[in-house]
Amino acid sequence: MLRLLRSASVRLAVGYAALFVISSLLLVGLLWWGTAAYLDRETAAVIRSDIQAIKDELPYRGLPGAVTIIQDQLGAATDGQAVYLLADQSLKPIAGNLQVWPSEVAPKPGWYQVPLALAGRFRTIEIEEVALPGGLHLLVGRDIEDRGEVRALIVKGLWWAAVGAFVIAVAGGLLVRRAVLRRVETINSTATAIVHGDLSRRLPIHNSSDEFDQLAKTINLMLSQIERLIEGVRNTSNAIAHDLRTPLAEMRAQLEELTKARQPRSAMLDGVHKAVSDIDRVIGVFNALLRLAEIDSGVRRSGFRLVDLGELATEVAELYGPLAEEKHATFIVDAPEGLATRGDPHLLAQAVGNLIDNAFKYTAENGAVSLRMACADGHIHIVVADNGPGISASEKPRVVERFYRCYSNGDVDGIGLGLSLVESVARLHDGELLLTDNEPGLRAILSIPAGDTGNHPKSSATSVRDHVQAEPQNFAA
Amino acid sequence: MKVLLVEDSQRVAQFVRKGLAEEGHVVDHADNGRDGLFLAATDRYDALILDRMLPGSVDGLIIIESLRRTGNRTPILILSALGEVDDRVRGLRTGGDDYLTKPFAFGELLARLEALVRRSQGVEIRTSLTVADLRLDLLSHRVTRAGKMIALQRREFKLLEVLMLHAGQLLTRTMLLENVWEHHFEPQTNVIDVHISRLRQKIDAGFDPPLLHTVRGVGYRLGIDA
Repeated sequence: MLRLLRSASVRLAVGYAALFVISSLLLVGLLWWGTAAYLDRETAAVIRSDIQAIKDELPYRGLPGAVTIIQDQLGAATDGQAVYLLADQSLKPIAGNLQVWPSEVAPKPGWYQVPLALAGRFRTIEIEEVALPGGLHLLVGRDIEDRGEVRALIVKGLWWAAVGAFVIAVAGGLLVRRAVLRRVETINSTATAIVHGDLSRRLPIHNSSDEFDQLAKTINLMLSQIERLIEGVRNTSNAIAHDLRTPLAEMRAQLEELTKARQPRSAMLDGVHKAVSDIDRVIGVFNALLRLAEIDSGVRRSGFRLVDLGELATEVAELYGPLAEEKHATFIVDAPEGLATRGDPHLLAQAVGNLIDNAFKYTAENGAVSLRMACADGHIHIVVADNGPGISASEKPRVVERFYRCYSNGDVDGIGLGLSLVESVARLHDGELLLTDNEPGLRAILSIPAGDTGNHPKSSATSVRDHVQAEPQNFAA
Repeated sequence: MKVLLVEDSQRVAQFVRKGLAEEGHVVDHADNGRDGLFLAATDRYDALILDRMLPGSVDGLIIIESLRRTGNRTPILILSALGEVDDRVRGLRTGGDDYLTKPFAFGELLARLEALVRRSQGVEIRTSLTVADLRLDLLSHRVTRAGKMIALQRREFKLLEVLMLHAGQLLTRTMLLENVWEHHFEPQTNVIDVHISRLRQKIDAGFDPPLLHTVRGVGYRLGIDA
């Protein structure tokens, strides 16, 4: 029993049944008080008032007065249900409709229920006996045979109601237990399947928006996140195997060759320099991976502060500005100050930098790159667009994967982590990275929820070059 | 200068000792925290290079804490394989002056070490910087070379200022990014190189000798000799 009670569903079911029985009993009791008990009370009240009337009469008109009242009452009562008996000390009847003192009634004050022959039939009579001054005894009674039947009917009905309530309570309790158990069992079996490796399993949603649905939705969200992370780890391990082993193998081959061949010193040095720069590349991949892991773990949220994204984007754009001249491309920057958010400034700068970097990497000679910012729906959108080859629709979902490089742009170097990082940074800030078509080219939109600053941005569209020349020429000679 | 290196990896220690010795510096080496703390507390050094994780109970952070509590202000460069920002911040908050993540290029270590020592020797307030015939006026924001005015944009001015403040020293790309752009992030492409070449166009083209030198694989140095 104790073990049974340890089950939450059993406790819930028992609690439910108990509550139902208690409330049903309360209701039945109230009904009883209002019906059967009411009949009893009414009979008693009528008897008492008759007795009181006779008692009141005695001091004024003495025994004859009492006798008159009894006879009046008997005359008025036509239903033959009333019983009166006034008797003297030796219980000899003086007045009333009983010929002898009923043997069942003791000459002591109190209530009695006695079967008496009235109009030739035995009836159950409710009688009160009172002692009157002068040693007189008075009996006043009412036939309760009919009322008794009604009362018995009601009481029987109430008993059935109580039994019915109990049965319903137990059945309801079992139903509640089963409903709870079923939902819990679903969660349990899904979780067990997941433990055994089937990460694609999800809890069914009943669209009832009840607590279980809410719980199921939350658990499903958690499962998606776990699946995504595990998928990420799996992809990353595969990618590491490919992207790190390849350069390591090349490096190893090259160093081995250096130890064997008798080469001139300068060639040896070149080989070593190449190996060092290969190693630097591998280290770069490691650093990028570690940074991604750090971002995804969420620990950097602790360093969040208010960041003016407009100012930050302008600074980063300024850093990359010279790339435009190198590629003879135009670089339009429209980043109004005052667009603030809460975030990690270094990571946001890295994200914006990666987007600009990508744009310049893929845009053609004499191309056009732009960085624009807008605030809509409580989000700050940083839009970096180029007019390079763009990304095909089929590749778009994949480019944010770690180590993914567009095959259509095969010859551009990179380690394939740039957009992954932007996406991770976006997610860390509860934002998102959208890749759309710039027709031609890529339009990358980094949306970050806006922080409240109370400032309203002042918009200005200038190219970087104009922007710089428009500044006071403090540094000019 | 005299440097104490506390590092448990013999190969890394040897690599650093050899490199610093070639630059004419004296290096004492301890391969555990206890000896390192003893040496640091009893001898006078111009700088300490501490490995963050050391065998035994005394690690790099404990050494820093102990030294700082006794009022020892020797500049400290922390070496660590722990690269996450949290560790960097903890290392610097404990009292370290700079933080370098393993693996590192020797040039980066040397550049940071020299910058640390220079900084600890006190920064004199200067209103102008001069290297050979190149002159930068911090008050009027004017730059001249051989008496000729050179027009620089804001960042170019800042870049030149940082290079001239560390004249003769090696500055890595990361150091420039931190000091000129004040951002801790890694540009994927070497955008710093582009900024340097633009600056070089303005201060070196048409003048002799060239002042802004590239140190292969490491960074840049501003000075008369290459």
